[in-house]
Amino acid sequence: MPTLLSALPPEAGPLPLAAVSFYWHLPLLIVLVSLVYSATRFDQWGPILREAVRWGLRLTGFLVAIMVILFVLATFI
Amino acid sequence: MPNPPSPPAAPPAPEYAWGAAVLSYLVPGLGQIYQGRVGKGVLFLVCIYTLFFYGQRLGGGTVPYGDGTYTVSSNVYLPDPAILPRTQVLNFELNGVLKALYNRPQFLGQFWAGVASWPAVWQYLTCSKDRPSGESFLGNYQRTPPEEVVNQLQTDGDKTYELGWVFTVIAGVLNVMVIYDALAGPAFVARASREPETSHANAPVGAAP
Repeated sequence: MPTLLSALPPEAGPLPLAAVSFYWHLPLLIVLVSLVYSATRFDQWGPILREAVRWGLRLTGFLVAIMVILFVLATFI
Repeated sequence: MPNPPSPPAAPPAPEYAWGAAVLSYLVPGLGQIYQGRVGKGVLFLVCIYTLFFYGQRLGGGTVPYGDGTYTVSSNVYLPDPAILPRTQVLNFELNGVLKALYNRPQFLGQFWAGVASWPAVWQYLTCSKDRPSGESFLGNYQRTPPEEVVNQLQTDGDKTYELGWVFTVIAGVLNVMVIYDALAGPAFVARASREPETSHANAPVGAAP
């Protein structure tokens, strides 16, 4: 099954992440999901924002870890 | 003779605000605004509608179709069962809306975004593959696109068609949590708000002002 990486010619080298526009939509998703989830847990702005930052970092870390794993698999295996 | 210790008082029955929950289903955050939690309601409204409509925008596109072009303006739709293949689950043949939902389960999530997803229900009830989109006052909006168009969008596009419906499904599922927040209040209530002399802002959120 062709993938984004396999569709590129071999001489193209590693895919620069900045060129993959797909990923640039994710920060908006992370920010909004973190804010809404945190606001359902608390009623005051302080705890909402603190919890949103915590969830934003957790989500970002999770997505970056997945991205790195996929990148390594696609590049070296 | 000493009195036996009295049993601990039963916790008060939770107050549920069903009206506010319905309002938050219709428009995300509207129930919270009705309850006086305006800032939080506006936060929900802006965040969930941004996710929903941004997802719709990501999932759209224009592709050649027939003699002209076809513009997909939304990835929120419920397919016409007439155009779907025969669908069986455990020897039980699905028909009607069950068949449509089985083939497009994303709509189970998108539906919870409230009135924003109702055009898809209208299109499902009024449109068929034989009826031109021009006959509906909604046009192609939240109408099932022809299969060839979806295939071409997925083949030629930059994968945002798929990412788009993920955004809209997440918006709908998040609104379920918003509805519950309107119904029963936040998961954690600040210590001060449990005191009986609290202000209205910290009163049980089940009650409307």
